[in-house]
Amino acid sequence: MTAPILSIRDVGVSFGGLTVLDGVNLDVQPGEIRGLIGPNGAGKTTLLNVICGIYRPSRGSLTLDGVSVVGRKTSEIARLGLGRTFQTSQLFAGMTVLENLMTGLHRRSTTDFLSAGFGLSKSRAEERHIEEEARRALDFVGMGQFADRPGSALSFGQQRVVEIARTLIGEPKVVLLDEPAVGLSLNRLAEFDTLLRRIRTEKGVTLLLIEHVIRLVMDVCDKVTVMNFGNVIADGTPADVRDNPQVIEAYLGKELRARSSAS
Amino acid sequence: MALLGRRNVFLLLAAIACVVPAFANPYHLFVANLVLIYALLAIGLNILVGYAGQLAFANAAMFGIGAYTTGLLQVHFSFPFWLAFPCGALVATVIGLALALPALRLSGLYLALSTLAFAQFTQWVFLHWEKITFGAGGFKTPRISFDPLPISKPVGLYYLSLVIVIAFVIFAQNVIASRIGRAFVAVRDSEPAAASLGVDLLRYKALAFGISGFYAGTAGGLYSQMLNFVSPEGYDLFQMVLQKAMIVIGGIGSIAGSLLGAGTVILLLEALREVKGAQEVVFGGLLVLFVIFLRGGIVSVLRRYVAGWDEPLRNPQREAEPDAPPIAATVEKPAQ
Ligand SMILES: Nc1ncnc2c1ncn2[C@@H]1O[C@H](COP(=O)(O)OP(=O)(O)O)[C@@H](O)[C@H]1O
Ligand SMILES: [Mg+2]
Repeated sequence: MTAPILSIRDVGVSFGGLTVLDGVNLDVQPGEIRGLIGPNGAGKTTLLNVICGIYRPSRGSLTLDGVSVVGRKTSEIARLGLGRTFQTSQLFAGMTVLENLMTGLHRRSTTDFLSAGFGLSKSRAEERHIEEEARRALDFVGMGQFADRPGSALSFGQQRVVEIARTLIGEPKVVLLDEPAVGLSLNRLAEFDTLLRRIRTEKGVTLLLIEHVIRLVMDVCDKVTVMNFGNVIADGTPADVRDNPQVIEAYLGKELRARSSAS
Repeated sequence: MALLGRRNVFLLLAAIACVVPAFANPYHLFVANLVLIYALLAIGLNILVGYAGQLAFANAAMFGIGAYTTGLLQVHFSFPFWLAFPCGALVATVIGLALALPALRLSGLYLALSTLAFAQFTQWVFLHWEKITFGAGGFKTPRISFDPLPISKPVGLYYLSLVIVIAFVIFAQNVIASRIGRAFVAVRDSEPAAASLGVDLLRYKALAFGISGFYAGTAGGLYSQMLNFVSPEGYDLFQMVLQKAMIVIGGIGSIAGSLLGAGTVILLLEALREVKGAQEVVFGGLLVLFVIFLRGGIVSVLRRYVAGWDEPLRNPQREAEPDAPPIAATVEKPAQ
């Protein structure tokens, strides 16, 4: 077994006395697609926020590819190779879709303020390169024709896809996706499976995916982690998790029973 | 082909500005120079407020710091203007950078209040540190001469201002059209998303504050030389309102809009100077009209009707897009 690319050990977070995460352990192997499920309020988004440095854990350790990220700024953790998307769309409203993608290349580009201001030729060359790469990345997710639209003109589902592309273009090692399938139409949802698998195989990115669409999680993820009340209550292959009585009690209940009787 | 286009509009403005001294009487030249100085102020403020989204109210104070530093270094330490002027810009830049520190923790209304407090503190220093600043009465500064060039001081200062404005406009345009400009807008539109893409929030806020301080400080040095007089009331709250009005009327988040706003507001104020009491009324009414009916400012009209305008980071959300599909639910909530 190789070393985990993302390792979360005994992480605790509380907000003014309210314990939201209480000793979470989670290891993700390189190249894995990991699902993270659990009822609303279980602490899934909070866990993502701790990993990417928005909150500081009150205890425990977090490493990304062997490097501790506790106490680092979000931007610094991003430069170490962590990407994420948010539960609500966070496209930059004042930019076109293409400019949003170009912003995703921020951490891989180097032009400093003075070279940019003086319009030095190396900064112009980098800018051209950024634009070309952004167009390619839009094509990768099939959104090329929307390049010059404002982000706000896209449907909610399209915005999510652009947001994923904007993260991927920075070539992160690990990407955290917070309910990316919310707002996708059924057609799009079917393509979304394929997109997630292509991200893994073509980009070599490890994914940690919070999702409420159970079918998507069960079909795409190698392993699934289930959280409830700030704790991990189960961890294993989709089949293991599906049959775990604790999980069925805590969360999956009706939905899974319906699914197994249908099949 | 776009006969007009953004670049050509700029070239036309620059060409007009170049020939102004040939036709203008001294008063016209004074007003034209004032427009140039306010263009610098409006560009700096627009980078900070319009692009980087930091609702700060310290620009008038920065303007004053530039003017006072330039003037006082000449008066107290006999610095030549050519040395005092860059020093003034530098001091304003450094103080601008320092103002970014509270901006990392504060946003919106709280940032507005803390920068307002800073501006009031600056006024207080100008007024009460009399031994150094000469208090409410202000002080005279030495006139520069452009010898051996065969031009008068007002004409010389006008061309100096023009060269600086052209250079600063090009610089600002280049910055905005780069990864730096995108980082500013990213910070404005979503701090968590910007940070998650590797944009260092403190760094880019500080940069925006520093740029606006530099532009305002430079404007202050030129202004002190234009009037050869420095006093506190030139840099008070009304001054701040004036500058904010320029970017609202010209177009928030647009370099070209900053120029147009500065020109429009100054020319309007001067035109109304004859009519007693009309200045405030017309000015206030105009602001309300723009805020209600033309949120994107003058520049949004140009964008719609001038072919090839094509500004980077053009803030599409503020404009109605006639042929865009219906806008899907775009709930803007802070990251959770
Ligand atoms: N910044 C915060 N301050 C206080 N409570 C918070 C904060 N963020 C999250 N919580 C609380 O933490 C719990 C877990 O929230 P969250 O992580 O968003 O759950 P999930 O994403 O699993 O639905 C909720 O009870 C929520 O109210
Ligand atoms: Mg959540």
